[in-house]
Amino acid sequence: MSLVVIDGLSFALPLFIIAVGGIYSERSGVTNLALEGLLGFGAFTGGLFVVLTSGIFPQGSQTPICLSFLFAAIGGGAYSLIHATLCVKFRANQVMSGIAVNILAVALTGFFTYQVNAGVFGSPSDKFMIGVSPRVTAPGISDIPVLGAFFTNVYPFEIMILAIAAFCWYVLYRTRYGIRLRACGDNPQAVDAAGISVAKARFGAVAISGALSGVGGMCFAYSITANFSPAIYLGAGYLAIAALIFGNWKMIPALGACLIFGFARSAAYQVAKSLEISSNVSDLAMSLPYVLTLLLLAFFSKGNRAPRALGEIYDKGKR
Amino acid sequence: MSEAIVEMRHITKRFPGIIANDDVSFSIGRGEIFAILGENGAGKSTLMSILFGMYEPDGGEILIRGIPEKISSPARAVELDIGMVHQHFTLVREYTVTENIILGDEPWKRFLGLLPYVDVKGSEAKVSELSARYGLDVDPGRLIEDMDVAGQQRVEILKMLYRDAEILIFDEPTAMLTPAETGMLLKIIENLRDNGKTVILISHKLREIKRVADRCAILNRGKLIDILDVPGTDTARMAHMMVGRDVPIDGRSTEARAPAADFGDTVLSVDGLAVYGADGTMAVNDVSFTVRRGEIFAIAGVSGNGQTEIADAVAGLAEVQSGRISLNGDDISRSSVRARIGKGIAYIPEDRQNVGLILDFPLGDNLALKKYRTPPFAGGAMLNRDAFDAYAGRLIDEYDIRGAGCGRAAVRGMSGGNQQKAIIAREIELGADLIIFVQPTRGLDIGAMEQVRCMMSAERGKGKAILLISYDLDEILMCADTVAVIYGGEFLRVSPVESISVDEIGRYMMGVTEG
Repeated sequence: MSLVVIDGLSFALPLFIIAVGGIYSERSGVTNLALEGLLGFGAFTGGLFVVLTSGIFPQGSQTPICLSFLFAAIGGGAYSLIHATLCVKFRANQVMSGIAVNILAVALTGFFTYQVNAGVFGSPSDKFMIGVSPRVTAPGISDIPVLGAFFTNVYPFEIMILAIAAFCWYVLYRTRYGIRLRACGDNPQAVDAAGISVAKARFGAVAISGALSGVGGMCFAYSITANFSPAIYLGAGYLAIAALIFGNWKMIPALGACLIFGFARSAAYQVAKSLEISSNVSDLAMSLPYVLTLLLLAFFSKGNRAPRALGEIYDKGKR
Repeated sequence: MSEAIVEMRHITKRFPGIIANDDVSFSIGRGEIFAILGENGAGKSTLMSILFGMYEPDGGEILIRGIPEKISSPARAVELDIGMVHQHFTLVREYTVTENIILGDEPWKRFLGLLPYVDVKGSEAKVSELSARYGLDVDPGRLIEDMDVAGQQRVEILKMLYRDAEILIFDEPTAMLTPAETGMLLKIIENLRDNGKTVILISHKLREIKRVADRCAILNRGKLIDILDVPGTDTARMAHMMVGRDVPIDGRSTEARAPAADFGDTVLSVDGLAVYGADGTMAVNDVSFTVRRGEIFAIAGVSGNGQTEIADAVAGLAEVQSGRISLNGDDISRSSVRARIGKGIAYIPEDRQNVGLILDFPLGDNLALKKYRTPPFAGGAMLNRDAFDAYAGRLIDEYDIRGAGCGRAAVRGMSGGNQQKAIIAREIELGADLIIFVQPTRGLDIGAMEQVRCMMSAERGKGKAILLISYDLDEILMCADTVAVIYGGEFLRVSPVESISVDEIGRYMMGVTEG
């Protein structure tokens, strides 16, 4: 039981920070299907930083882990500028741009990983081995039955995600930039009439979504996959999109959706393990969160309302 | 006139193919209501867009407070304390009134002296105070999406006042308003002037200009015809100058109203109709009436009392909850929309841009929208584009539809009047026995209005049954044979138009049944 909570959280929270990135982009009016590619590219740059600096930091130092998240955010943010440029500057179809960015990410990161491994380390491989992040347990609280599991074997990045998410909420709802960003997603004409650049606000929003997705991707690299490899593209970006839609483009409900997905996934895993069924069948059980996604979206998101100007290319001249 | 606050000298603006403003000059005094009158397409909006920095003039100069200014953008206009309320509002619908007003100029505060945040609460007080001073009656905490058009317009006015605008431009501000809302807006405009603001009012509605304006510039085809002192000029003269010919303005037009004919057979018969509205409440309750050949049956009432739902139920767009609708004796209460069109119902809907037309389709396709499946438009599975072009060409000539060339241009670029003429052309050409007109002249200028009413009258002359729904009492008095007054989803009175007075209709519209 406590394993369900521990594993569920370590999947749900990275998913959540990616969904928050998606919320930034979509609340500004830019459809972002590129989350999958952004998280992968972020994890790639973070992983690249770790393997390239592995000789510099002493064994067991936490510095490379901390810095890798920074580099993942920079990498994801920089890579997202492709999506931002295509959508905002060149007014491309946002769905097509997102898909293209995803496909390109898989290809680019796979190629460069192989090249770096071959060129720098002389061992051609499509993986950056970076290991698993250490975990922490809060003394005392973790002994409480059931609830204690939320404080047991926690990855430090889970705490970091909650802190970043709280800051993101503050920016989105309490600052000038946040008010303007959300206005862009509802009625860009109103923002333009107020003398503010719609393009700049949207560019920033997409870049933030890239940075947050990169952080989320790095979390997966340090936990589930324990390396950077094409296995990072396991559909978490799409699941994050489902979570933000199911959460009605709002942060707290999106967190709820991510927790449902996370716990469904870890519960399915534990059930499959306890039944000792073969791995062929247990893979089927692992599809539970995705089946759940379909059902939830089909039945419970009818009342949800997307930002009014979502996916709309902003054209000043249109009547 | 007091000192001039705005002077426009020899303003000329050309667009490909037309001259929108041709050497227009005038000056506007501080604290007056200056109206700009002209038909749709006369160049009024272009002229004011130039003043507001949205277009650059090809010639001429603008002086603000006596200083020549180059107004290169709306932002520059706002710096010069010029504000404009456009026909299409620029409001964020999921935000409150205050959030909309402060957008772009949000005041900061610091939480515990540290974390900066946008101070919405503090701004609400300022918005409240402004709203009270000018009699705008706006609740600063309300969400825009919960407000009606008139309320949203007042938020736009507040937006200008919050930025200390002195010169306020209103572009056709009453086009979307009911008569009562129009009255309130005109009061607000007078209020603004009495508080020292300068108001520029773009309109084609003579009565409104007559009521509030101090002076009035008349434009026709881009040229300034004259500048008049409004109190000393009668509306007939203004109408003549605006259109360039005589037009009936008030009362019953002789042309639009042929002598009372003997009505023929019953075409539409509605019996005990009940319809639910979009919000799930009973919008139409036990309504019965008949429309005969050669009869214009008008439903009068204040907007939102169930008129639209009746039209939608007859056309097949709203579900009939109970009761019976029959056309030429056949029960059509449960028929599909296509079956109803086939049996002879034509429908000119209230929302012409969203229901009546596909804005990004070419005019030709829109005109053939209800016929494209039949020859000559379709042969087998293929469409015959030549037939579309030929059909469009004929209708453009017959119905005087302008702005889409030979029919290949999208209707989005056409003026409201021409869009409406296109819809009417399409529906009349169906040859249906029953034609439903909902608000057929809303937002049109006098010239187009007259054309639409003539078309309606001509159809009546051909023995069609016509159901007219209008919020414009003058229009109903001018056109209808029979009037029904609706209030709260029920007919309070049905009467031949000759035997009911305007006052009576007005009282029933307000729901007063006695006295």
